[in-house]
Amino acid sequence: MSQQAPKGRMLTFNIFRYDPQEPGDKPKMVKYQLEETPGMTVFIALNRLREEQDTSLQFDFVCRAGICGSCAMVINGFPTLACRTLTSKYPKGDIMLMPLPGFELIGDLSVNTGKFMRELAERLKLWLHPISDDMDVHRLEAPMDPAEAAKLYELERCVECGVCVSACATAQMRDTFVGAVGMMKLARFELDSRDGRELEDFYHVIGNQDGVFGCMTLLGCQDNCPKDLPHMQQIAYLRRKMAVTLIS
Amino acid sequence: MKLIYTDSLVIGAGLAGLRVAIASKERGLDTVVLSLIPAKRSHSAAAQGGMQASLGNTVKGMGDDEDVHFQDTVKGSDWGCDQEVARMFAHCAPKAVRELANWGVPWTRVTKGPRQVVVNAEKVTIEEAEEAHGLINARDFGGTKKWRTCYTADGTGHSLLYAVDNKAISMDIPVHERMEALSLIHDGERCHGVVARCLITGELRAYVAKSTTIATGGYGRIYEVSTNAIICEGIGQALALETGVVKLGNMEAVQFHPTAIVPVGILTTEGCRGDGGLLRDKDGHRFMPDYEPEKKELASRDVVSRRMTEHMRKGKGVDSPYGPHLWLDITLLGRKHVETNLREVKEICENFLGIDPAKDWIPVRPTQHYSMGGIRTDATGQNPQLKGLFSVGEAACWDMHGFNRLGGNSLAETVVGGMIIGKYVADFCQQNTLEIDTGLVESFVGKVQNEIDELIDGDGTESPFELKKQMQRIMMDYVGIFRNGPELEKAVNELQELLKRANALGLKCKKRHANPELVEALRVKRMLKVALTVAAGAAARTESRGAHAREDFPQRNDKDWLNRTLASWPDAEALSPTLEYEQLDVMKMELPPGYRGYGINNAIAHPDTEKRELQITAVLSQLGDDADRHERQNALMPFEVPEALTPKNERLSEMLQQQVAGEAK
Amino acid sequence: MRIIKNREKLSGWLDISQSASGVVLAVFLWTHLLLVSSILLGEQAMTWVANTMELSFLSADGHGYPWVVSVIAVVIAAIVLVHVLVAAHKMPLNLRQQKALKRQLNIVNHGDTRLWVWQAATGVLIFLMLPVHLWLIGSAPETIGPHGSADRIWQQGVWLLYLPLLFCVELHAAIGVYRVAVKWGAARDLNSRNRLKKIKSIVSAIFIVVGIASLLAFLPYANAS
Repeated sequence: MSQQAPKGRMLTFNIFRYDPQEPGDKPKMVKYQLEETPGMTVFIALNRLREEQDTSLQFDFVCRAGICGSCAMVINGFPTLACRTLTSKYPKGDIMLMPLPGFELIGDLSVNTGKFMRELAERLKLWLHPISDDMDVHRLEAPMDPAEAAKLYELERCVECGVCVSACATAQMRDTFVGAVGMMKLARFELDSRDGRELEDFYHVIGNQDGVFGCMTLLGCQDNCPKDLPHMQQIAYLRRKMAVTLIS
Repeated sequence: MKLIYTDSLVIGAGLAGLRVAIASKERGLDTVVLSLIPAKRSHSAAAQGGMQASLGNTVKGMGDDEDVHFQDTVKGSDWGCDQEVARMFAHCAPKAVRELANWGVPWTRVTKGPRQVVVNAEKVTIEEAEEAHGLINARDFGGTKKWRTCYTADGTGHSLLYAVDNKAISMDIPVHERMEALSLIHDGERCHGVVARCLITGELRAYVAKSTTIATGGYGRIYEVSTNAIICEGIGQALALETGVVKLGNMEAVQFHPTAIVPVGILTTEGCRGDGGLLRDKDGHRFMPDYEPEKKELASRDVVSRRMTEHMRKGKGVDSPYGPHLWLDITLLGRKHVETNLREVKEICENFLGIDPAKDWIPVRPTQHYSMGGIRTDATGQNPQLKGLFSVGEAACWDMHGFNRLGGNSLAETVVGGMIIGKYVADFCQQNTLEIDTGLVESFVGKVQNEIDELIDGDGTESPFELKKQMQRIMMDYVGIFRNGPELEKAVNELQELLKRANALGLKCKKRHANPELVEALRVKRMLKVALTVAAGAAARTESRGAHAREDFPQRNDKDWLNRTLASWPDAEALSPTLEYEQLDVMKMELPPGYRGYGINNAIAHPDTEKRELQITAVLSQLGDDADRHERQNALMPFEVPEALTPKNERLSEMLQQQVAGEAK
Repeated sequence: MRIIKNREKLSGWLDISQSASGVVLAVFLWTHLLLVSSILLGEQAMTWVANTMELSFLSADGHGYPWVVSVIAVVIAAIVLVHVLVAAHKMPLNLRQQKALKRQLNIVNHGDTRLWVWQAATGVLIFLMLPVHLWLIGSAPETIGPHGSADRIWQQGVWLLYLPLLFCVELHAAIGVYRVAVKWGAARDLNSRNRLKKIKSIVSAIFIVVGIASLLAFLPYANAS
């Protein structure tokens, strides 16, 4: 196909392997070697490993463009999206892959983030609660402050990859903790002028140990979020709002 | 065998599928959605630029309405679309946008007063109306007369998908994640549901339903490089094909997007060019005006992709280890614009190319992007061959796109089509009873079970990964942007060879639960059949229309080819699909075939075209002078939408006009 | 999951009390250390500070009321107790939580989380050491002064307690104040957070240096007696 590419260096992958459904299987780390190609990402590498070396290797990719949030895993100690992680980032060529901690393990690097996120959405009611039900789609839409719309989109860029939960020691220690993803989304609806919920309503959901008052501000969420969402500011904002309801 | 009964079964939890599920649930129907992945990870999320709807709030969209949107869509389709469907679509698009605003989509809004934009490489100041402040904004896209593409920065699909999935969650609609549908249950006349396999446990389940809606998206991954998510493998189309009775429409109509990054093929939105970005060649020369002096970079997608390929064939491409490419230049938009309105593009450039698009040019080349073809449906979204089988979104050939889809019309189709077809699906469920023939269900589950047993216990040796790779390579090499007879012939023959080899697939991993190799094996055989419908359809169509460009037949031939290809696979053991053609009736068209406005006008006219044009003039002249545009439209080509969607769309421009008229009185 | 309202409000108050008590303690700590460091300026400076703390300016004989120091010790002990109680329920108390934390630290590499582990560990140590310090001072307030303190530190070997305590409290307090600041939104962006973090480290370092210098400054007085 293309011109002869120069021989790439040898990468060593150290991958967590465990199939919880296979009787007698135990968690272990397995080493694989692969020749690097130009522009190689962990997505490309894992697919090649599966095709060429071990067809049972489990992992999740969907968009492979950093948009869908399927492929978060811990790469050399940092939880991040595998699809957009270039192997060239690791000068030594050693790459350790672990599944995201804090989620149900499906097998190897595949975890059930979807189930977690759906349950969270149901528990925290993460959808717009319109002020009125009287919506006429045939008439001119209600105006919205352009700055508000921009701000909402900014907070809405979360892809539910689960990195913030896996990077949060608080969430790891306490199963019921809503994590940054939950708080971020609530902050988004709290800011939305179309949402009819009052502060008090939000307090019921996150004004407790499982929400803003259980968060220890370790900021694993902020430091690892692949979308660079402003977790630190938003959680602080919510906390202040919630604290105000204590006095009023 | 686990049996699950429901009223409305939806396969695929992208925007189109979820929207249908919501419409079903709104009527109190029991609704279940199956999805390979969590709903919010669906490929709908990847749509960046926006969705078209003729709101006409921005000053550059003033004067826009359903008529203009309809005309753009029909022209864009190279007259291959179903014009009634295009009308239904254009009429409902503004409603869908407004509905989504109510569900939480933070549409980018108009800011009153002057605003600087880039048009034709020059900075221009436009003045937004006071009254438009805070209303939904729109940007320019290719092939449209007005600025019509509503957007949220460049994450429109993401915002829409999240809002719609949130709505579905609020309505308590179950999404069975990591379930893969492998076979439709049917009796040759009526569809009764699907057999699906759990990708975690490997369990086979039969979902029995009154209506089954396939909303599984396109088949881009039959190509080696595609902007599509890796799950867009055409399995929905394959399910339909394998019934032996269902027909797929226009499978050869495959769109190539002009600006995917090289080499990985990730999309940079058309919004880049819509907002003023330029295409440049290896000399830094802006070449599009040389080919399309009028629309330049914003010609229709198929046109831009072909012009780019032509230009690269002239040796003007930039050489790279991955073959030639061209440059997309958005540096002239300024850093602020790139960092707010084109954020995802910026992230993609940083992460996959290591460049800063506010400063550097982006290496791009045309790449497989969209499947206009799909499961043939009527205007209500129902398949004419199997009662109770519906399809919607990219999976379907509802046929508002014909042979080329306009940018911003696919995202729009998911929610608009979902809104319309969802209501028809709900009607169907209310009018029909659940028919359960357990014998029939068991026979279909048995068939899938046998297929799996054969793969795991059989003595085949072919690698599913290898076969898939070869198929993708063939499609890339011979069924690309420019096609010709000998190459298409070759593609068909080689694909048939692969299909034969696919009978001897063998697995290394013998697990019956989560087993990625088994998943691949189950898919590859199905994908091969889909690929064959594309290649065979392309080989048979000896004309050029929209995205289907034959070097050996460069003219659009309305005389012989103003029709829709229908592919089916009646004999499961056969090596090629059966092709038939459904004629498009010029005498019913609101907009008879004409010049699309690109290159030379060399189309071979249909004999009815002139007749119809005269008829249209006559019909319109019979209407009084005071007939409004709706009456004129209705006289030419009446169309129906579900009753709840019939009211006219209110528009700012019309309100302003009335105000002015009122003051004048 | 219906919880009564008061109970619900409780966690908010707990969190606020943790931050508030922490800040009060940190401010006290830094003030305290600055006062003690008066020894660096000489015997008289320290005597003056000690006397002033005992409110000598209010008493006719100028000797002041040493029990004031005892009162301060008791008050601080009370605030510490509050702080410990509210902070404790955020710590990994059961085995499962401890295991989860350990696993997390093994898998994920994250600076601020390690910082918190330091804070938690120093917190536990402070909890063990501080009562001894408070008892020594609170029970014999009249001995505070260049010579008395020097005796205590160097003759009676209390430096073995003070030195580790100094390290623990200075780390704990600075990290804690940094965290409180970030927690309630003092850092508007990542740059200001980095700045806060830098300030935090500098504060820790300065106070540790001042603390050690002060301890050493007592040495001559101990030898002299």
